[in-house]
Amino acid sequence: MTLLERYEEVVGHQAVLHLRQLADRLQGKRVVHVNSTRTGGGVAEILGWMIPLLNELGLQARWEVISGPPDFSRITKAFHNGIQGMPVTITPADLALHRDVCRDNARRLDLSADVVFVHDPQPIYLPEYAPADTAARWVWRCHIDASHPDPTIWQHLEGALPRYDATIFSMAAFARQLVKPAFLIAPSIDPLSEKNRPLADADRLATLERLGIDPGRPLVLQVSRFDRFKDPLGVIEAFRLVKPYYPDLQLALVGGSADDDPEGPEVYADVMRAAGNDPDIKVLMLPPDSHRDINALQRSAVIVLQKSIREGFGLTVAEALWKGVPVIGGATGGITLQVHDYQTGFLVYSPAGAAYRIRYLLRYADKRERMGRAGHAFIHDHFLLIRQLREDLQMLLCLDRPGSETLVV
Amino acid sequence: MTEGQPFVLYDCGLARQGCAASCSTLDDLLHAVKTASDSVIEHHLMRCVLEDHFELHEFPNDLARWCWDSLGDHALGEQLGLVDPYRHASIASLREALATMISQRIDQQDVQLVCRPGLELQLMQSRLIAYRTDEEFTTPVALAEALPQFTLPSIFFHVHEARRRSGNRTDDFSQWLADRAGEPEIVAAIRAIDFYFLNLIQLREELQRIFHQFMPDAPSVAGAAA
Repeated sequence: MTLLERYEEVVGHQAVLHLRQLADRLQGKRVVHVNSTRTGGGVAEILGWMIPLLNELGLQARWEVISGPPDFSRITKAFHNGIQGMPVTITPADLALHRDVCRDNARRLDLSADVVFVHDPQPIYLPEYAPADTAARWVWRCHIDASHPDPTIWQHLEGALPRYDATIFSMAAFARQLVKPAFLIAPSIDPLSEKNRPLADADRLATLERLGIDPGRPLVLQVSRFDRFKDPLGVIEAFRLVKPYYPDLQLALVGGSADDDPEGPEVYADVMRAAGNDPDIKVLMLPPDSHRDINALQRSAVIVLQKSIREGFGLTVAEALWKGVPVIGGATGGITLQVHDYQTGFLVYSPAGAAYRIRYLLRYADKRERMGRAGHAFIHDHFLLIRQLREDLQMLLCLDRPGSETLVV
Repeated sequence: MTEGQPFVLYDCGLARQGCAASCSTLDDLLHAVKTASDSVIEHHLMRCVLEDHFELHEFPNDLARWCWDSLGDHALGEQLGLVDPYRHASIASLREALATMISQRIDQQDVQLVCRPGLELQLMQSRLIAYRTDEEFTTPVALAEALPQFTLPSIFFHVHEARRRSGNRTDDFSQWLADRAGEPEIVAAIRAIDFYFLNLIQLREELQRIFHQFMPDAPSVAGAAA
């Protein structure tokens, strides 16, 4: 069975047919995706499934990863924070190093293609330094909330954008005033991946036992990098506000470290300090390939939290909803596309708000179950990978055939 | 679709583009209505029905929803909710009607309302991508039987988009039936649907109800849902 046939069993015949129809118009197109890491984080996960599918559809897709000196991660993490509005300190030497790394990678990587998708700020200056005629089109894919960036950081990154033919943002609120078209394409999850596929109950229970979580008591879970924007300390605060009312409640804060995130260990240490000796708070730093463990934890939770204060999209929200678990999420970024009050969970604005909604969902099991069912259906219809792939291909077709008239495929 | 031809089912999707512009006040909204591209107006007045995932919205267009939900101007929300873009001969005419309505409301206001940060109306435009499916129907009964399984974007394409294509003259369902001759009552009933007032789930149910009413062999709405 081909990959597409396997996905067809999940998303239906017509959805896959549409992909094939689009791909017929784009046969043989050489597509390269470039990012800064092969492991950890949502972008690497998306590219992991996207490349084989593009190839099966008849395009020629490759994935390249830039590399740089150790200091490069610190600088690009500052970009990441600065784009999302956090004040950051960056020096002219840092900006020069960023350009130097992009220049070195532009020479080292094979970027010859009809379209090069450049993901996030790390490789943004590649088109500036790539030999002429390397790529027919350059597309910058911004996965993070760029609506209120630090001006210094944005001024530096904006300098790279005139070389691009189009940009992609996850939602309209993130789009910046640019000369080129800014397509809106939300990320998605892979329903057949190890993280999202169905899991035998025995495997799930064995995972809980190994991780020290009691399967007989309700579990509230947040899965995300140890990153201040994910507000792990706010999650602990919310849990402690609920605990007097539900003494059996357990909290698991589960994160991995992406190898392009130098701040992870520092935030992890802060979280460990806040958790203290509380035996009902499990703080787990898992390796980046712990997909099966994450799957088991998400399927075991009664409520999943994603209490971010800034968020690009929040793939962990889609993952939890896909597994039929309602989500309490910070009212920010892509979480607002996925969490709809009383439908798939609740949007909250503070640890107190999260605590209140945890109490609500613990109190009303029937509503929790209804929201879980609605969440699963919502993700099925809107946030599985076939939809994202279709929108990426639609964009390529629109770039090939500019205008506003209806395109019939 | 011409006489004797099967009904060919299409699906559709949107290629959305952000405008990097948003509205926080009625002044912003007026400016947008006057200056945004036709595609922006079309998206927020017509295609936005494709974004109503939970049947949550009281009103059929983004402008009315934003005024009601985010700006807190309920009176203008009610007015904008009654604007039917398909009854305007052109986007220019629609723009003029919207601008007049918003201007009058601005003149009535003592204090300008401002929406809370995060609740701005984010302007976007879209391009419709139509997909020919591999489903075709040669008889009205076969079409009626399959109708409950049609995707909501298919319903949009064959009703809303067809109205736009035909200058609000017809939808694809009634046109196909009319081309076959001999189904005048059902053609009239489908064309009389107040389609813009309904969300796509309601519209699909209404189509099912009409098919069942005029074709007893066709499945009922309840039967189809089961």
